[in-house]
Amino acid sequence: MSPGLAVLLVSFVVLMLLEVPVAFVIGLATLLAALALGRDGSLVSLASDMANGLDSFPLLAIPFFVLAGELMAAGGLARRLIDFAASMIGRLTGGLALVNTLTCMLFGAVSGSATAAISSIGGSLIPEMERKGYPRDFSVALTATAATTGLLIPPSNVMIVYALVATNVSVGALFLAGIFPGILTGIAIMIASLIISRRFRTASSAAPAAVTEIPRFWPSFFRAFPSLLMLVLVMLVILKGWMTPTESSALAVLWSLLLVAVFYREIRWSAMPAILVNSARTTGIVLLLVGTSAAMSRLLTIEQVPQLAADALLSVSDNPLIILLLINLALLLVGVFMDMTPAVLVFTPIFLPVSAAIGIDPVHFGIIMVANLCIGLCTPPVGTCLFLGCGVGKAKIAGVSRAMIPFYIAMIAALLVITYWPDLSLWLPRAFGEMPAAP
Amino acid sequence: MSPNPFARLQAILVRGLAALCAAIFACLVVTVLWGVFTRQILDDQPAWTEELARFLLVWLAMLGGVLAYADDRHLGVDVLTTRFDPASRGIARITSHTAVLAFAIAVLLIGGGELFLTRHASGQMMSAMGIRKSWFYAVLPLSGALVTFLAIGKLAAKPGTPTAKEESA
Repeated sequence: MSPGLAVLLVSFVVLMLLEVPVAFVIGLATLLAALALGRDGSLVSLASDMANGLDSFPLLAIPFFVLAGELMAAGGLARRLIDFAASMIGRLTGGLALVNTLTCMLFGAVSGSATAAISSIGGSLIPEMERKGYPRDFSVALTATAATTGLLIPPSNVMIVYALVATNVSVGALFLAGIFPGILTGIAIMIASLIISRRFRTASSAAPAAVTEIPRFWPSFFRAFPSLLMLVLVMLVILKGWMTPTESSALAVLWSLLLVAVFYREIRWSAMPAILVNSARTTGIVLLLVGTSAAMSRLLTIEQVPQLAADALLSVSDNPLIILLLINLALLLVGVFMDMTPAVLVFTPIFLPVSAAIGIDPVHFGIIMVANLCIGLCTPPVGTCLFLGCGVGKAKIAGVSRAMIPFYIAMIAALLVITYWPDLSLWLPRAFGEMPAAP
Repeated sequence: MSPNPFARLQAILVRGLAALCAAIFACLVVTVLWGVFTRQILDDQPAWTEELARFLLVWLAMLGGVLAYADDRHLGVDVLTTRFDPASRGIARITSHTAVLAFAIAVLLIGGGELFLTRHASGQMMSAMGIRKSWFYAVLPLSGALVTFLAIGKLAAKPGTPTAKEESA
């Protein structure tokens, strides 16, 4: 290992453990490594790497999808989606658990944020589930895991981040590729919830299975339809080639603004500055990471880290199935300690060449990565979704972590299917001509 | 309101920064929508729309990042620090803010400042908008100065005071 690389690795780990914000960890580790390598003008080149890494039209889609999601969430999106999901599947056994999962999927997709889904949906459904006899730990675990599926279903900012780092990957293709894996993960979570909830469905006398008041289908459909139309609209304009993903994200902002301010009249114009500030802060969190990671990945490339990692992994085995398993295990471990966006930014450049060497399509690999890192969002010690779920549902982390186990199994099962069945991801983008047909 | 004038100055600064971010965000939305409109409907998109949009994006990203730091909202890993006793935790907190301070001064303020000055001296222009390219980089030293100021405030704050994150929770 070169001295520069050793400095990078050590300072990265030490700074991270001292709770330095990850964006600054990445920047400082890069700076120290560049200094250790004795590179001239490190300070200026780091600064310019950051600014130039952010100077990209495709990246604009991130603040816009964030803003569209904030607007939607500030309105009554949660209630509309809950009613819509309840009208469809509320009558089934275990209805409330299924309604929760479906609503989280839809909300996560529309708002583009798993955390927004947890606070909005969990805030109203976790207490409701408790009244109907579901244990709280179970409901929190269900909400936290189900919310992550929205990150696979488009529009998804983490896919835009992946497309940026992976280069030559179309955002449209990634968006399409995520749909079936997202639905599959959602179904796996639903199945797990049905199996576990059988126990307390029979144990409690209050017939806790279904939602008691089922909204009628058509009225709730028409109330939810305009919000869900945003997903369709965004996909349509991208696929038809009418707009770039960035332009489609601006359209999403316009659409959500029309909905919440004009059509539903749920927010006042005076609430707009606060929504803009919140979105700016979220944007800053994501994009500062993108900026410092841009500087770091340039250093990694100069130090030939991707090649070293590829050689190391390929020397273990040349069997693609085993390599994929190893990458998945490594990513699961990464996900335990790192949030999704920094993990995608740091590890895509390292693992993508390996996956390319064993013939994995970069679009498929992006889906594997996101599906994998979704699991990490629900694991302690760095599980944003787990922690937020515990906060929203007022539950203890230890209890929820135990209740999570069946859902971990469901998510890992879905991940294995996603990993070893490329067509699940790639069929849709191919069918829409977003990527070349199978060789 | 905090009695300490330095803390009060910081609070005013953060409010101003938030307002600036909101304004930049609103301009960004209008610029890109105007670009889409002129391209799709008028079939004649002015070149400045994309240039301005990217300019505003970099400004929004950096200043939004500063705002997130002011509110202690950046992603961090507290696996180890939560297991520390209060005294070691205080040391970790000081180390953490010092690290941020070091990055802000070295890379953003010095590196970004030099970048701004050399680009300004070279007189390179942004073709469509007709302004110097250096203004694009000016946000680096600006956010460096802001983070430096905020980090000093966070270091100066008494160990017992709740962080912005704890206050909002």
